[in-house]
Amino acid sequence: MIRKLLGATLALGLTTLPALAEYPEKEIQGIIQWGAGGSTDTVMRAVTPHAEKALGGTIVMQNVTGGVGAIALNQVANGDADGYQILFGAENPLLYKVMALGDKDYSDFTPINILARGIPILVARPDAPFNTYPEMIAYINAHPKDVKFGSTGPGGLPSVVTAMINQKTPIDVTFVPYDGDGPALTALQGGAIDVMPAVLGAAVEGIKGGTMKTIALFDTEASSALPDAPTIVSTNPEFGDLLPWGPFFGVFVKKGTPDDIVAKLTAAYAEGAKAEDFLALMDGRGFKMMNISGDEAQAFLAKWQSTTAWLVQDAGLTKASPADFGIPKP
Amino acid sequence: MMDVINNFLIPFLDLKLLSLVALGTFAGIYIGAIPGLSVTMAVSILISFTFSWDVLPAISLMIGIYMGGVYGGSRTAILLNIPGAPSAIATALDGFPMAQRGEAGEAIGITTVMSFFGGLVGIIVLAAAAPSVSAFAIRFQPRDYMLLAVLGILLVGSLSGDSLVKGVFAGAMGLMIGSIGLDPLTMDQRFTFGSTAMMGGISFIAVMIGMFGVSEALIQLHSMKTPGVKQVINRIVPSFGTIRKYLPLSLQSSAIGVIIGALPGTGGDIAALMAYDHAKRVTKNPEVPFGKGAREGLVAPETANNAAVGGAFIPMMTLGIPGDSVTAIMIGALFIHGLHPGPMLMVEQPHMFWFIVGCLTLANVFMLIFGLTGIKIFVKVVEMPRTVLIPLILLLSIVGAYAVNNSLTDVYWMLGFGVLGYFMRLYGYSLGPVILGVILSRLLDDNWRRAIISDQESLPRLMHGIVTSPLSLTLFLAVIFIFVSKTPLWAMIKRGRA
Amino acid sequence: MQSKTPRRPGELVFNLFVIAASLFLFYSAYGIAGFDALSSAGAIPMMTTALMALCGVLILRENLRKSPNTAEKIERDILPIPVIVTIIAITAYALLLKPLGFIPTSFLFLLGLMKLFSGRSWVFSVAAAAGSVALIYVIFRLIFTVLMPQGVVPESEILAAIGHLFGGAK
Repeated sequence: MIRKLLGATLALGLTTLPALAEYPEKEIQGIIQWGAGGSTDTVMRAVTPHAEKALGGTIVMQNVTGGVGAIALNQVANGDADGYQILFGAENPLLYKVMALGDKDYSDFTPINILARGIPILVARPDAPFNTYPEMIAYINAHPKDVKFGSTGPGGLPSVVTAMINQKTPIDVTFVPYDGDGPALTALQGGAIDVMPAVLGAAVEGIKGGTMKTIALFDTEASSALPDAPTIVSTNPEFGDLLPWGPFFGVFVKKGTPDDIVAKLTAAYAEGAKAEDFLALMDGRGFKMMNISGDEAQAFLAKWQSTTAWLVQDAGLTKASPADFGIPKP
Repeated sequence: MMDVINNFLIPFLDLKLLSLVALGTFAGIYIGAIPGLSVTMAVSILISFTFSWDVLPAISLMIGIYMGGVYGGSRTAILLNIPGAPSAIATALDGFPMAQRGEAGEAIGITTVMSFFGGLVGIIVLAAAAPSVSAFAIRFQPRDYMLLAVLGILLVGSLSGDSLVKGVFAGAMGLMIGSIGLDPLTMDQRFTFGSTAMMGGISFIAVMIGMFGVSEALIQLHSMKTPGVKQVINRIVPSFGTIRKYLPLSLQSSAIGVIIGALPGTGGDIAALMAYDHAKRVTKNPEVPFGKGAREGLVAPETANNAAVGGAFIPMMTLGIPGDSVTAIMIGALFIHGLHPGPMLMVEQPHMFWFIVGCLTLANVFMLIFGLTGIKIFVKVVEMPRTVLIPLILLLSIVGAYAVNNSLTDVYWMLGFGVLGYFMRLYGYSLGPVILGVILSRLLDDNWRRAIISDQESLPRLMHGIVTSPLSLTLFLAVIFIFVSKTPLWAMIKRGRA
Repeated sequence: MQSKTPRRPGELVFNLFVIAASLFLFYSAYGIAGFDALSSAGAIPMMTTALMALCGVLILRENLRKSPNTAEKIERDILPIPVIVTIIAITAYALLLKPLGFIPTSFLFLLGLMKLFSGRSWVFSVAAAAGSVALIYVIFRLIFTVLMPQGVVPESEILAAIGHLFGGAK
C-alpha cells in the first residue's frame, strides 16, 4: 500500500504518458454479481489472487448487486470489450430472458472459465417426521399443505429443484419465500420451515453439526464433502435424466474482446483454479470443480440453459417462453 | 481453562497482532466517520488484501475495523449532523445540537466512553452466554420478526419532531422507498417503471447521504456567513459521577443492542434507534429536552450499537449464521482461510472463539484510547469556515454515493433525495422516520408475507399463532402498549384515573 | 394538532406535490399485483402509499388553516441563489464525471463553489480545491480501490507505470 501511495503522489506530478505496454497495462476491474460474503463472492475472491499471479496484473474486485445480478451483467455488457472489465457471475443470467429480467445473458459474453458447479441437496430440520425422500413424499401426501418448503423466488435453485420434484413426484406443500438460501437455512434451524432445497456448500456445516438433516443429494454420485448423504437416484432413479444439474460460477468478458486477451485471461484462470488452497476450499464447501473454457464452456452453458429454462417453463414459473428466444427444448 | 486464557491473550501478547488490531481500530474510526465508506466495504476489500496472510492476523485487522467503524459513525453525526453510518442516525439527533452549543468535545467524550461500555457488555455476553443467546435468537419466527418491525415502526412517534402526521408521512415514504426494485421473493418489479437500473432498488446509503449530507449542506448555505461554533474542550472524559448516573440506561441499552445484534437480519442501526426510543420513554426529566442535546440521547444509541457488535458474533460463532453483513463477510473469510464456521466450529476449534473474543476486547480498548485522543483536531472541523466546508461535504457526499455501487445513478438519487430532504426540512418534516422506514421496509414486508403464507393466507390462523407463542405474545403486547401510550388514548386513560 | 406557526412560502405547492406523487405511487403499487392476496408483493407497498396519500391530505387540511407568512420571501428564505447554484453544480458534476473524469471534475466543482462562496483569492481557492481532491483521491481510489471514471487523465496507466518503476512486475 505504501508503494501505491508513493506512486500516487508522483503520478500527480507526471505529465508524459508512459509507453504502451502489453495487456494488462493497467488495473482490471472485476465485477462480482452478488453481494459481499455470498458464495459467488467467496469463490471469486479466493481464486482471483492466484489468477492475478499467473496474469501478472491487478484485478480490482467490486460487488455490484441488484436485480438478481442483472445490474452487474448490464454494466459489463455496456462497457468496452477491451478486457479491462471482467464479470464474475453465477448461473442466473441464463434465465433472465424467460424471467423478463433483461434482454442480455451470457450469449453476449465470452466465457473465460466455468470454475465449478454446486450440488443441490434437500435438507430438513432435525426433528422433521421423515428421514428419507420416499418417507417425505409419503408424509406430504398424507398431510397436504402442512409441510413448509423454503424457496428463493422463481428461477433460483430451490425453484428448479422443486420443479424437478413436481415433475417426477408431484407434491402439495406450502412455499415460504426467502431472499437467499442462507436466511432460509437459518429459518430451517429455527423451525420456521421444514424442508429446504439448498446448495450443498451452504448446508454442509449445519448437517455435520446436527442442526439439519439430509433428505437427498440431488446428484448422480455421492459427494466427497458428505460421503454418507444418499443420492436421489438411489431411491428414485427416475430423476436420473434431469441430473447432474447445479448452479455454477463463471468468469466472463464481453463478446468481441480481442482473442489474445481472452487467451491470456483463460490461461490465467485455468492456472489459478488449480491452486491447492483453492481446490481445498471448493472441496470443503462441496463444490464440484469444472475448470472448463472455450467451446467446452459454451456447450455447457447452452445445455444448462436449455434444460433449466424448459424445466421452469413446464413448472409455469416463467414470464416468457424459452421458445421465443430460440432456446431449444432438451 | 488455561487454554481459554491463553487463546484469549494471544492478541494482547503478540506484538504483530496487537498492532494490527490497533491499526484496524484506528482506520475503522475514519472509515466509519466518512459517509459512503462502510465497514462492510472495507472488510470485503481486506479479504483480497489479506488473502495470503495467516488467518489470525487477517481476523485481527477485520475485527479492529469493525469495532472502530461502528463507533466512528458518531463523529460526523455529532460534528456535522451527517451520520457516517446508519447506526449513528440516532446519535445525530442530540449530538449535533450539543456541538452547536460548543459542547462537541463533551459529546464525543460521552459517546466514546459509552461505546466502550456497550462494546464490553456485548463481548461479555458473547463470552459467557453465546450458545443460549443464539438458541433464543434462532427461535424467532417470521411473525416475530414482523412484530419486531412493527415495534420499530412505532419509533416514528419518537422521531417525528413537532408534527406527528408529517412524521407518519415520512415513515411511510421510507417504507415505500425500501420496497423499490425487484422483489426478491417473487421477482415482481415494484416501482421500477420498466427500468433495469431501478431493479436493484435505490441504494439505502444514497438515500441516507442525500437526506442527511446534501440536505444539511443546502440548509447551512442559508447561514453561510456565520462563523463556525467555537468549541469548548476542557472536559472530554466524563466524570465518574456522570458515568454512574447513566449506568442503568446504558445497561438496558446494551441489552437491547446485544439481542437485536444477535438476531440474524437485524443489526446495530435498528438497535440504536430502538435504544434511543427506550431512553426517551424511561427518562422522566432530562436536563435538556430530547432533540435539543439530551445526553441520554447519546448514551442509549451509542451503547446499543457497539453492544450489537458482540451480539452479531453470537450466531456467527455458534452456528455459522451471520448476525449482520460484516459477520457474513467474516464467515466467507474464515472459509477462505480453511476454517469451517458452523455449529462445529466451537467444538472443533474453540481456540478460534477465544481468540476472537480477545481481539474484540483489545479493539474495544483501542477504540477508547483513540476515541479520547485527538478530539481537539477533530472538532476543528466544525470551526472551519463553512464556505470551504460545505463544498467539501458535498464532494464527499457525491463520491460516497458513487462508491457504494460504482454507479452514477446513485449520485442522481442522492441529489434527488437531497433536494427532497431540503424541502422537507424547510417545511417541518423530520427526516429520521424516512431512514427508519427504509431500514425496516424489507424486514416488515418479507416477514409479513412469510408469516401469512406460513399460515395459509389466513389472518385468524396468524393471530392464533401469535397468542399461543410466548415470544410472539410478548412482542405483540409490547406493540399494543407502545401504540396506546403514544396516542391520545393513553392520555385519556390517565386523565380518567386521576 | 393546531399549530400557530404561519405557512411558509411554497409550502402549499410542496404539499400538493406530495399528495399527487403519493396518489401516483399508489396507482403504481396497485399495478404490482392488484388485490391479489394478503401475501402479494404489492400488499405492503399499497398500504404504505395509501398511508402517504392520507397523511398528505391531513397535512393539507392543517396547512389550509394556517395564515400565510408574509415576512418570508421565496427567493430569500426557501430558494436563495447559493442553493440553486449548488443544485446545478451537483447536476453538472454528475453529467461531466464520465466524459471528463474524476480528478478534473472534482477540482472544478470545488474550485467553483469555494471561490463563489468564500470570495477569497484564487490562490487560496485553487490550493484548497487541489488539496482536497488529492486527499479524496488517495482515500477512495488508492486505499479503497474505488474505480472512479477516469476521463481525460490516463491515471490508471500512470499508476501502473509507476508501480512498474518501483516494484517491477508484481
